Amino acid sequence: MITHPTQFISRALDNNRLSDGFYELELEWNSHAPAPTPGQFLTIRIGNGKGTVPLLRRPFAFSSFDADSSVVRIIYQTRGIGTEFLASARRGEELDVIGPLGTPFAVDTDRSKHIIVAGGIGLGPMLFLSSYLTSRNISSRFVFGCRNEGFIPSIKRFTAANPLICTDDGSAGFRGTAADYINANILPDINTDTTIYACGPLPMLKSVSKIAKDRNANCLVSLEAVMACGVGACMGCVVPTVNGYSRVCKEGPIFNGKDVLWERM
Amino acid sequence: MGTNVDLSVRIGANTIPNPVGVASGTFGYGSEYRGLVDFSDIGAIYTKAVTLEPRPGNAPPRLIETPSGILNSIGLANVGVEKFITDKLPYLSTLPCAVIVNAAGATEDEYRRVIDRIENVDANGVFGYEINVSCPNVNHGGLAFGTDPAQVERLTSSLRKSTKKPLIIKLTPNVTDITAIAKAAEAGGADAVSLINTLVGMVIDVKGKKAVLGAKTGGLSGPAVRPVGVALTYRVKRAVSIPIIGMGGITSADDALQYIMAGASAIQIGTANFVNPKTASLVLSGIRKYCVSNGVPSLKEICGIAE
Repeated sequence: MITHPTQFISRALDNNRLSDGFYELELEWNSHAPAPTPGQFLTIRIGNGKGTVPLLRRPFAFSSFDADSSVVRIIYQTRGIGTEFLASARRGEELDVIGPLGTPFAVDTDRSKHIIVAGGIGLGPMLFLSSYLTSRNISSRFVFGCRNEGFIPSIKRFTAANPLICTDDGSAGFRGTAADYINANILPDINTDTTIYACGPLPMLKSVSKIAKDRNANCLVSLEAVMACGVGACMGCVVPTVNGYSRVCKEGPIFNGKDVLWERM
Repeated sequence: MGTNVDLSVRIGANTIPNPVGVASGTFGYGSEYRGLVDFSDIGAIYTKAVTLEPRPGNAPPRLIETPSGILNSIGLANVGVEKFITDKLPYLSTLPCAVIVNAAGATEDEYRRVIDRIENVDANGVFGYEINVSCPNVNHGGLAFGTDPAQVERLTSSLRKSTKKPLIIKLTPNVTDITAIAKAAEAGGADAVSLINTLVGMVIDVKGKKAVLGAKTGGLSGPAVRPVGVALTYRVKRAVSIPIIGMGGITSADDALQYIMAGASAIQIGTANFVNPKTASLVLSGIRKYCVSNGVPSLKEICGIAE
């Protein structure tokens, strides 16, 4: 069995608008490549080698993996040339893919309470994690924070997670951030028997990590950085941790919140 | 494909099987690309810089994309020579390509001790050494050596005494006259020079009114720098008689042939490895195809042919 990442030519199967801000690309997964697990990512060569702008491959976290049909999905926002390329991908378009990359979430089954916190585009890997836990009969709570109601997806995989929705402007659900919601409503329920899984903007990750620390809970966060190689070779994507500089693409993107030197992030 | 094309390249007393190498800092210690590349297509792997002691590298952010290029300030982050020998060299030694250890240091003594240490433990696993006197990202990472001909000659002749293996001096483009540095390396007993290392560059975040990179400035690489590398290869070819290993922005066989026609005997792929790890294979097959279709029996025939 192959355990290392694989490079292959995939094909776009579908490209769906999830909400005002989010799109989801569905693409073929190579059945000879290892199965992606929540927290891991792939890189895509933007433009398939036509031109040198943009140059570097772009990383995207898996938002789902269906082993039977060998299909993966990634959620993205159109923010620049790279993601505009993805948005323009039509059914059947070939994509140069490398994956799966990075260290996935280590689900801690010794603890009985699982809280998934997703902020904005951090939704992708957390949807994957939510369905992964459900498929293993592990119940979890899902808190999703975004700018306004326009960002809330209507897909079944999202509603199936039974998300507690928070919006910055109060246009839907709780008014405030995901961290605000946790602080206001579920703090007493967080303790040593809890694991919080988080992906989203840095301020959210910092807040959630602090909550976990104060409540002696376990906390796993997904970090982001500009990457060149994506495979651990170039040392370009490091973040400061208690173990020195750690590569987001190799030791990460999932880190234990207590290991990250947040004040230097 | 023509099997009668001779693509081997002689460096000092040894020969690398083909002219396409993968540049230091872009290929880790080889194992990172396991399963993603065909190592038998790679002529030589130039390791991540090895220093006497482990180095954490520079404060992040270390990387930003620029037009047709990237700017990095890694800062020679590496495991140090002892861990290199115990953890990295065993895998590298199993590869079919030549393993060239890129050595860096803050003092002449540090360079010499890195090489001595490897010479003491290894007989066959290492093909030769590439001496990094050109890293723009650390205060004492060689650039102080690499910009002064007298220091380059002294360092080269000192290291020459430590090894009989091919000794390659890697040159910086951040100098007034690169030919003076190349001549100094040749005079010191180098078997080859490799060029170019990255060009000093800076990107400023206008909104935040500050440098994007943690180290403020970094080294520019990628297709944007290719014409600079080709021009400096052309100039150095006319200044020294030892082989030149050309690099800087090579993404295709055409790019590689530009360097060869400018005077390079071999080339290295750097930034393009990040874009497509199989670039070395594509460049090699493209060079072979070029030779077959143009009746070129050996790259020596076209090395430096451009006038």
